Amino acid sequence: MSLTRYTVRRLLLGVGQVAGITTIVFVLTEALPGDAAVVIAGDQPDPERIALIREQLDLDQPPWQRYLDWLAGLLHGDFGVSLISQRPVLDLIVGSAAATVLLAAATLLVLVPLAIGLGMLAARREGGRLDRAISAVAVGLYAVPEFALAILLVAVFGVRLGWFPPTAVGTGPNLLAQPAVLVLPLLVLLARPICSLSRLTRAGMVDALRSEYVAHARRLGLGAGRRWLAHALPTAAAPVVQQLARTTDWLLGGVIVVEAVFVIPGLGTALVDAVAARDVPTVQGLCVIVAVTTVVVNLAADLVAFRLAPRTAGAR
Amino acid sequence: MTGRAPMISRARRTGRVPRLVTGVVLLAVPLLLALAGPALVGLALVGDGADRTRPFDQAGLLGTDFVGRDVTGQILLGGRSVVAVAAAATALAYLVGVPVGLFAALTRRRWLDELLMRPLDLLLAVPSLLLLILLAATAPRGPVTLVVIVAVIALPEIARITRAAALPLAHGPAMEAMRLYRETWWRRAIGYVARGIRRVLLADAGIRFIGAVYLVATASFLGIGVAPDAADWAVMVDRNRAGIFLQPWAVVVPAALLVALAVGVNLVTDQLLAARPEVTK
Repeated sequence: MSLTRYTVRRLLLGVGQVAGITTIVFVLTEALPGDAAVVIAGDQPDPERIALIREQLDLDQPPWQRYLDWLAGLLHGDFGVSLISQRPVLDLIVGSAAATVLLAAATLLVLVPLAIGLGMLAARREGGRLDRAISAVAVGLYAVPEFALAILLVAVFGVRLGWFPPTAVGTGPNLLAQPAVLVLPLLVLLARPICSLSRLTRAGMVDALRSEYVAHARRLGLGAGRRWLAHALPTAAAPVVQQLARTTDWLLGGVIVVEAVFVIPGLGTALVDAVAARDVPTVQGLCVIVAVTTVVVNLAADLVAFRLAPRTAGAR
Repeated sequence: MTGRAPMISRARRTGRVPRLVTGVVLLAVPLLLALAGPALVGLALVGDGADRTRPFDQAGLLGTDFVGRDVTGQILLGGRSVVAVAAAATALAYLVGVPVGLFAALTRRRWLDELLMRPLDLLLAVPSLLLLILLAATAPRGPVTLVVIVAVIALPEIARITRAAALPLAHGPAMEAMRLYRETWWRRAIGYVARGIRRVLLADAGIRFIGAVYLVATASFLGIGVAPDAADWAVMVDRNRAGIFLQPWAVVVPAALLVALAVGVNLVTDQLLAARPEVTK
């Protein structure tokens, strides 16, 4: 399969996924208990006012009509207005995205070189002491709930030793002003993805180093450095790139928890608050943003993996 | 797979036994506490939650929690919900997912296969915690809701694995032969295909259970699907966070138990998988 054909097929699948996910989100948020008009009316729940709000929100229209209007709005970048703060949902998302994007970017920046480095280190001597130690830790940490790990780290390094601040309270919106705040959240976010990525890198490197073409490169007299980095690593990296995209799912989940533990005002906090307050347009907007991000990242990763190793990646 | 003998020698070389022992110990402590804990609550030195003193006090073995209940008693009571909900959710997901995947693999109508599997693929594309929060907000609060939600999240993966494992069996030569001998559909589907994939499914169950524990604990921590003062390790971590400076045990012990549970299940599953060379992931 050529790259162009694969790209077109994969793009169509991505569009289908986004369409499907927006539908799921709309149906689920429609099912949220509680009447949006009653929520807004708040302290003055007289029937006239509720009826007025209902008309303003188009709640008197059938669901499919509202669904189509909502979709049309999304295409124009119109996410609606928050029921609670009466501000455009897009403003709210942009406002709280900074902290989350910073966390995710910092995590990825540390994660990729560290995980690949550890994986290659473990693959250097398969079955050696270092390999055993790395893989035992990786297997163990793989499914530790982020919040439990976060609390243990806070108790030890934040409270007992006092090396890092236990929460981000009082830091303000710009987390970079106090980098020490970021250390514990980053450690927590790294814990799970680093396990899967380093194990995949190790397995890929071990396979690639045993393969015919690397043996051939050795017979041609290529140095170990070039064999490892220029020949074995690209093949080993293909599944790693795809797994990296899957970790966006984990990162998003982890970010929700980490923001809750360390009191960081980001998208996760915004989502939990919006669901608790039954703020339907905000929940819908946040879910669409998160879902579209996931689909786009996976799409990009699949294309990169296809470019790196066309035979294996395209077979999926 | 290279066969049994080389696997075992490699297993010995990579020091599997100490890892298995560590895993079993790490798993046994939280599991025993979770299962036998509720029976120990009535004993001396342990408050049962009814008698309340001052919050975040040092009284008792591990002090008191945010409403003044004895932490030791809460820990003995609090493991059951995590383990039971996760186990029930895994069981429910298998009960629904395996027949769906099996049916999709066995049917010779391609559209039926697509109709069963495509919607599940869509669910896979939604981040699981997002789905959890959305579903939990729409349903009444309670352990049953949590079981159903976690099962729904685990369902697509299980159906996919079942289908993938059953496909080669369902369309292989042995199946054709059974069809020629006019064996009934039940004999072919249950007696042959379902029996053939049971090892793959068993090996996978450990991984699914870990995923369920993770989701249940995280959901409880975020306050989804449980009462805010429930005796539950994850809820304890959340609610007692405010007193971490005064009374760290109320937070650290349940968090450590959850970590031990996750690490223990992982190590044990990994060792069991490695010890069984014929099981391919």
